[in-house]
Amino acid sequence: METETVAGGYFGRALVVDLSAGARADVLPLPDHVLRAYIGGAGLGAWLMHELAPPGVDPLGPEAPLAFCFSPLVGTPLTTSAKFAVVAKSPLTGLLNDALASSHFAIAGKLTGHDAIVVRGACDEPSVLIVDADGPRVEPAGDLWGLSADDAETRLRERLGKAWRVASIGPAGERLVKYATVSHDGRHAGRGGLGAVLGSKLLKAVAVRPALKVAPADPKAVLAAARDLRKRSFGPATAKYRELGTLANLLAFNAINTLPTRNFQAATFSDAPRLAAEDLAEARGVARDSCASCSIGCEHIYKGADGKGTRVEYENVFALGPLCGVSDPDAVLEASARCDAYGLDTISAGGTIAWAMECAERGLIDAPWLRFGDAGALLRALDEIAAREGLGALLAEGSRAAAAVVGQGSADFAPHVKGLELPGYEPRTLQAMALGLAVNARGADHNRSGAYEADLSGRHDRLSGGAAHVAAAIGTEDRAAVMDSLILCKFLRGVFEEPFPEWARLLSTVTGWDVDAEELAATARRIVLAKRAFNAREGWTRADDGLPERFLSEPLEVGSGRSAALTHEQLDGMIEAYYEARGLHTSGLLKSAQIRDLRLGVERNSTRSISAAVP
Amino acid sequence: MAETAGIVLAGGRSSRMGRSKAALEWHGSTLLRRVVGIVGRAVDGPVIIVRAPGQELPSLPEGVEVVEDAREGRGPLQGLAAGLAAARPRATAAYVSSTDVPLLHPRFVRRVIAALDDGADVVLPHVGGYPQPLAAVYRTALLETVERLIAEDRLRPAFLFEACRVRRLDAAALLEDPALAALDPELESVLNLNEPADYDAARARPAPEVTVRVFGALRRLAGATADPALVAAATLAEAAAATNLTLDEHVVAALNGDQITRDPDAPLVAGDTVAFLAADAGG
Repeated sequence: METETVAGGYFGRALVVDLSAGARADVLPLPDHVLRAYIGGAGLGAWLMHELAPPGVDPLGPEAPLAFCFSPLVGTPLTTSAKFAVVAKSPLTGLLNDALASSHFAIAGKLTGHDAIVVRGACDEPSVLIVDADGPRVEPAGDLWGLSADDAETRLRERLGKAWRVASIGPAGERLVKYATVSHDGRHAGRGGLGAVLGSKLLKAVAVRPALKVAPADPKAVLAAARDLRKRSFGPATAKYRELGTLANLLAFNAINTLPTRNFQAATFSDAPRLAAEDLAEARGVARDSCASCSIGCEHIYKGADGKGTRVEYENVFALGPLCGVSDPDAVLEASARCDAYGLDTISAGGTIAWAMECAERGLIDAPWLRFGDAGALLRALDEIAAREGLGALLAEGSRAAAAVVGQGSADFAPHVKGLELPGYEPRTLQAMALGLAVNARGADHNRSGAYEADLSGRHDRLSGGAAHVAAAIGTEDRAAVMDSLILCKFLRGVFEEPFPEWARLLSTVTGWDVDAEELAATARRIVLAKRAFNAREGWTRADDGLPERFLSEPLEVGSGRSAALTHEQLDGMIEAYYEARGLHTSGLLKSAQIRDLRLGVERNSTRSISAAVP
Repeated sequence: MAETAGIVLAGGRSSRMGRSKAALEWHGSTLLRRVVGIVGRAVDGPVIIVRAPGQELPSLPEGVEVVEDAREGRGPLQGLAAGLAAARPRATAAYVSSTDVPLLHPRFVRRVIAALDDGADVVLPHVGGYPQPLAAVYRTALLETVERLIAEDRLRPAFLFEACRVRRLDAAALLEDPALAALDPELESVLNLNEPADYDAARARPAPEVTVRVFGALRRLAGATADPALVAAATLAEAAAATNLTLDEHVVAALNGDQITRDPDAPLVAGDTVAFLAADAGG
């Protein structure tokens, strides 16, 4: 219908399904100027949440929308482009959250004929949403309730057929654990608890089957670009991911005092070699895997004590290993496998448990069984969280909410920003990253702010944050905003010598637009600010940009003997400089011209007046 | 304000050596590059080189400042005055070094700096029976005193020491620091090179022994290199070469778990640990 006027790579519409109304489906037109302003993925998701989420909405209430957002590159042969963003207001942070996952669901979901699939409302009983050429429909799924995401996906594909692709939640999502994931093919849209949003809607899964085709504006040029990019993806910039995967970080980070240990009480872990990829890969590595349309193949599968394979990433192992003081590789692999099965974000689970271990050791909570280094305690805590039983009922809320209940100063060492637990990058020894963690809209996050790149570049003093670190943090945040919206995998980032010009050419080739690097840089800034604007609408204040007290009052010592200290004044100075460089008010809020540039509200009327229509 | 700056005096005439000491090669680097790097590791303020008017210097790391003697050939007090003037707005004291000390160890610099207390304006090591005014710490507030002495044509450091409070550290006092005693037991940090024969002897000495660690995908490139490995290397480039690595855009190094660098000329000293990491460290 609109295909003549829609840019290449897009359908120009989002499917909006109201689960409360028996899957009443509306089509939300996505005009060219919106798509060009937000691209897709995380960017488009931010725009959709501005348009569709009622101000102040309860993230677990029926009115809360959740969007699966695709992007113009999905379906092209460009390597690593088969990715999708899940976007909603987070029950963990109360702010905007986008979480990315990969593979066939992205392709099949987009080829239902939509650039996004949005669900709102809530089902009356456990259900699945099914979308294909026949339109969306909701079916009961009582038989899937209680299954792991992996098992639910398998069962559903057995029922519907292999052409169907499924994103599902596990038991943690069903029980509204605030950091439950949305899974597809064993990969997780992991951060921020979006699995709980689906759980609150009694929606176990979304199944999609391709129905349409979408062509890029210049297929030959896209094919040539894909060949070139694929060739570059085999080079040294991705060697780390191919050869050892992200777990290669562990031993290296330990050597440079940036491996968070025992709830950030230390930045080195004496038993780190037991968990290191360098040794484990040989002893336990059984396979490598990759997402659809990916030529890197970063996934490394390790064999656990029971002989079963588990995907291993640095963040899993850091959070369930050193952060909890656990060094037994079998236990860490088992903990990781349980998080997969329950559908738990490993970073938030590990961070919350590590905080609880410290509370228990300090006598702040009555849990004598919970001690750093106790693998059995780690596994028990995960089981209780997923079941919301015993101490798990408290820990399922995340470290910020749990600390508010426990009190007694435990908030000072609750390892979160804006409610989102910190990833495996010690901010005192990575001070550009400290700023990135403090100001990012999603909370403490290494995927939306990769400022550690600046710290590890050798161009800045990583132990003494200042003006240069601010510029570097902004640069990585902008680059992430584009990669998460195109979408391209960040593991590919090292192959781009001139990212913005190269990405602008890719986007132009696919869409037919004449996007240049300058426009794309402005788009990146707009996406970053759109997230900040959403948060402000939902109650964000200046006090939310910061780090827990521990990082600002407990220096670390690095191997050279130098003290790694980050003070309130130093961090505040960087935050103020960040606001200034971003052109924000000193309060951190957007200026009126920036708000106008977000191009919000222009579709609201059409959103509301859409008649039921499906492709 | 920083506590301590570094001042390296490079403007001497080198008359006995017969050529500029600053550019003399030592294990793949120059003496000046090596000394500014080592001093820089031990101070928290700027590193300032004082050169003779118009003197050409070998390549230097980013961030090192260069100032000039007001007049050439007036001895160390002239250079000290120029260095203190540059340092004073940003540091309360400065470690002052000559450029011809290839065996200088940052632990020695730190030991001397640590001895500066409220009762002293200068910390002056005595090693081998001699005072070491170019391996000493001076308060930047001494600038006026130094300038007055220069104006009076009293150009020997001894005149300065008569005019201020000096804390003297002999070898035994210096070696009370167990780390220094382990890393530089003979206090060769002050071994300077005056004659060509001194230089020849220094060149004959092996590079310092350092520990090298290689992580991640780089281990494959390092091949049969043990981890950790003890290698002789005076610079980061030498350490990389000893482990079959090339310092390109995909490789960075961490020195003693502290700064990340990919500067091939970064000097190494005995006891250092160098960790080579893949530059693509995210995930």
